[in-house]
Amino acid sequence: MISIDQSVMKTDMLDLENLTAEQTALEIRNLDLKYGDKQALFDVSMKIPKKKVTAFIGPSGCGKSTLLRCINRMNDLVDNCHIGGEIMLHGQNIYDKRVDVAALRRNVGMVFQRPNPFPKSIYENVVYGLRLQGINNRRELDDAAERSLRGAAIWDEVKDRLHDNAFGLSGGQQQRLVIARAIAIEPEVLLLDEPTSALDPISTLTIEELITDLKSKYTVVIVTHNMQQAARVSDQTAFMYMGELIEYADTNTIFTTPKQKKTEDYITGRYG
Amino acid sequence: MENMNLNKHISGQFNAELDDIRNRVLAMGGLVERQLEQALDALGALDAELAQKVIEGDHKVNGMEVAIDEECTRIIAKRQPAASDLRLVLAISKTITDLERIGDACVKIAKAAMDKRSKNQQPLLVSIENMGRHATRTLHSTLDALARMDADVALELHKEDRKLDSEYEGIIRQLMTYMMADPRSIPEVLDVLWAARAVERVGDRCQNICEYIIYYVKGKDVRHISYEEMEKDLKL
Repeated sequence: MISIDQSVMKTDMLDLENLTAEQTALEIRNLDLKYGDKQALFDVSMKIPKKKVTAFIGPSGCGKSTLLRCINRMNDLVDNCHIGGEIMLHGQNIYDKRVDVAALRRNVGMVFQRPNPFPKSIYENVVYGLRLQGINNRRELDDAAERSLRGAAIWDEVKDRLHDNAFGLSGGQQQRLVIARAIAIEPEVLLLDEPTSALDPISTLTIEELITDLKSKYTVVIVTHNMQQAARVSDQTAFMYMGELIEYADTNTIFTTPKQKKTEDYITGRYG
Repeated sequence: MENMNLNKHISGQFNAELDDIRNRVLAMGGLVERQLEQALDALGALDAELAQKVIEGDHKVNGMEVAIDEECTRIIAKRQPAASDLRLVLAISKTITDLERIGDACVKIAKAAMDKRSKNQQPLLVSIENMGRHATRTLHSTLDALARMDADVALELHKEDRKLDSEYEGIIRQLMTYMMADPRSIPEVLDVLWAARAVERVGDRCQNICEYIIYYVKGKDVRHISYEEMEKDLKL
């Protein structure tokens, strides 16, 4: 009776503390962030693996969105925001003075809570980033539009009305359109800030399905209030509380046997 | 995770539901324990009436298994429990399966008590009864550990099963001697053997329940590993 055939056990967990450079998309090192006098992030360090979905969860105000925004320097736009520590992408600190923020954001795309298509046609929304890069070749744009819309699992729904106004789409479709726009410029990392919190359950499932597909090509980092969503879509989960990274581990571990009491209390609904 | 706080959910209703299945599994355990005691009493005294009562009582055990399992399913569907809550629901759902099988073992013992042939084997039945009392104590302590969700006691009890196993082996050797001495006694001896087997299985079921307790408290799956590995795992 005493033996288990290890080959039937599922062991595809990454060793998050010792990821190789090859496996790492982003490395956050000792990140501190202050909005004026108020410190929002305390010494956050973590490695985010390549082509995986990493979720940040935690109660409101725990700093998870702040952390996400740091990854493409969205916090630069906030007055009085001071950042210490480093975020390494391709061996370079993205907060280095020499970094071109526009180039960084081409590489690290972002999708927000509310779908924010531009008041243009569906087609123009998707190719907007490419046009900004000076690409105007019709053929190239057409290809990119189809590829991105397919990638965002919305092509079949919009292929016959590419030149209709994007505002005519439903909320869930708009959100997928925005994701198509984000992937049209082929970033490496996609940041999703509560991408389904304004959507109905069915659209939510479509987006979740899409997130799972996206990780074959992109590194996805998602902030979500919906714990079950984190459990469903992510490979790794980071639990944050009061600006600190409390626990960061394989999602299966976090949702079955978390190590920290705070994590346990939060995910079982005992927090508060 | 040592101090599991079972009652601090934001949702009071969820608390109540988890409390409810915990209480019901303990009630089911109490019922099964009584069944086992009565089955062994019936065997010791060859009391057919009491044995019949045990056999009828098994329906109630079966009913409780189904009812608790339904409740577990409902909790999973409605509450999507995670972490210790999830482990609690899973541990309970598995525990009731083993309790139900202990109930079946009681029926087997009761049937041996009703068997007319058994009368010729009364001396043999006594050794089973002794082993049976040992199994009853193990079941009692296991249910205690379950009520208190005490992983340390569960680990100790898990080790205890070895003693029951060696008692069982002793009985088998004894029975083989009888069979060799007098082949005509084989049918009767086999009846006793099945009863002894049923008692031995009670110990194994208790061992399983101890594993679920450890799983709930420590979050470690300790099935199919040696006691030494288990101890090492739990020290971490």
